[in-house]
Amino acid sequence: MTQFVVRRLLAAIPTLAGVALLAFVLIHIAPGGPVAALVGDRATPVQIAQVTHSLGLDKPLYVQFFAWLSALAHGDLGFSYVRQAPVGRLIAERLPQTLLLMGVALLVSVAIAIPLGVLQASRRRTRFDRIASLAVFVAWSMPTFWFGTLLIALFAVTLGWFPVGGLQTIDTTAFDWPSRIAHLVLPATTLAIVQIAGWSRYVRGSMIEQLREDWARTAVAKGLAPGPVLFKHVLRNALIPFITLLGNSIPGLFGGAVITESIFAYPGMGQLFWQAALNRDYATLLGMTVITGVLVIAGNLLADILYGVVDPRVRYD
Amino acid sequence: MTDDAPKRHGPRLTAYARAGIGWIAVAIVACVLVPLAAHLSATNTDVANAYAAPSFAHWFGTDGLGRDELARLLVGGRITLSVGAIAAAVAMVIGTVYGALSGYYGGWPDAVMMRVVDVFLSVPTLFLLLFLAAMFHGSLVALMLVIGGTAWLGPARLVRGEVLSIKERLYVEAARSLGADDARIIFLHVVPNAAGTIITTTTFMVASAMLSETALSFLGIGVRAPTPSWGNLLSSAQSDLFAGAWWLIAPPGLAILATVCAFNFVGDWLREGRDIETPA
Repeated sequence: MTQFVVRRLLAAIPTLAGVALLAFVLIHIAPGGPVAALVGDRATPVQIAQVTHSLGLDKPLYVQFFAWLSALAHGDLGFSYVRQAPVGRLIAERLPQTLLLMGVALLVSVAIAIPLGVLQASRRRTRFDRIASLAVFVAWSMPTFWFGTLLIALFAVTLGWFPVGGLQTIDTTAFDWPSRIAHLVLPATTLAIVQIAGWSRYVRGSMIEQLREDWARTAVAKGLAPGPVLFKHVLRNALIPFITLLGNSIPGLFGGAVITESIFAYPGMGQLFWQAALNRDYATLLGMTVITGVLVIAGNLLADILYGVVDPRVRYD
Repeated sequence: MTDDAPKRHGPRLTAYARAGIGWIAVAIVACVLVPLAAHLSATNTDVANAYAAPSFAHWFGTDGLGRDELARLLVGGRITLSVGAIAAAVAMVIGTVYGALSGYYGGWPDAVMMRVVDVFLSVPTLFLLLFLAAMFHGSLVALMLVIGGTAWLGPARLVRGEVLSIKERLYVEAARSLGADDARIIFLHVVPNAAGTIITTTTFMVASAMLSETALSFLGIGVRAPTPSWGNLLSSAQSDLFAGAWWLIAPPGLAILATVCAFNFVGDWLREGRDIETPA
């Protein structure tokens, strides 16, 4: 087990290095590059040369890359000249908000997708299954930001149940739980909708497959009540591959957060990334890509390990 | 050689698939032909008639500049559909070639190539999309290339998986023993036999590329105004909503939803009986 974890950790290192290299290369092939965004369109060539030199951008690319990597290894994510703040601090301010949003969305998705998929599988080919399948298809094809807009129009503007956007009601500097939760309902629902669609389809398919297995038929044949068979035995087996799915959902959640956060003016990582892309704030883009990459790789790693813990058939050699 | 005999048990056309194909056909005909035939203009402004509610003259009403919403919807559909189709084609060409080479050669080239895919997949696709779209914002062609260029990873994995099993088949060995070179084997024998996977994945890719277009246009770095697209219309309808123009928000949203749904229906039908994962 320990050996397996260590080996997986070691295997994650090249992937992580690859992410750093990818982000670095992308930013340096961008037209104009970091300097043009800083000095503006009307800078003279002398000014450009000065800024380029002072930032060390006239050194060979590989020198810059290793300088950046070694700073990274010391926990220095760089400095955003656009925002006049260290990138590390910018991310530290916003990451908790996004993780909270993603966590709530994840909980909502699991809480809806698993029961829905189980019910559909147990009532396969009934009217309920057909209607639910159609609804899931529609949810799967939904443009997220349109769904968010509709939620705002209905629940925030017309009914006034939830706030239109933001993190919590202004004028309260202290952490205000009820207000925070009220501000999370609509964004989390928006972020969860696509996940719910994909996962309930998966659970349905996986349940049907497991129900066909001999041991499931045996359990039913020897007289076990359908409830325990369904939930205790079949669901447990159907959910094992679901762990991998959960691990794989992290990049999608970060991507979805960009759209969700921009609809609801929610100050998180997605909004930061979007603004950084528009302002060509390269330092922030680089730092965020690396941090997200670390989280994604860690998520996959965790899913792999959990898979092994849950499924005794997995061997570690 | 019985396992290589053509199988003729294609899935029957389901009601969903029929509805999907029908809707796609209607959408294409309407978006391409109707604006030409009816002399509808998507760009003629008529400020006196700004924010006119739906009427006989303007079935879907007009926007803040008095432009006919129906005309903009149809012309915008042309843009969104072609972005979807071409971006999907770009993604599939890259994904197929990459996946086929990786799967066919195996060994360390395969390991390296798949590790590269892992790296790309460790960065949220929307981050890549946003970054590239912001860098190369402007032309429609750039937008298609950017969307296609970030969507090939899933297809590459699927095609590789398929190629791994196809390359062990007898007809591949037969071709090799007849002296065919690798390029000929890959592109004339292996890839055509992965056509089922490729076509199915393409259908899903069109749907997701259309959603990418609308998302980027919503974020202001997709199709450039005044060119209409479904994403653009939806994005401006959101602010028009606060001006009281409620009729602008539903048509583009429903058009995207129905068309993406239609492609997903068809993809799902094509997938039936095959063991193909849904590309995320």
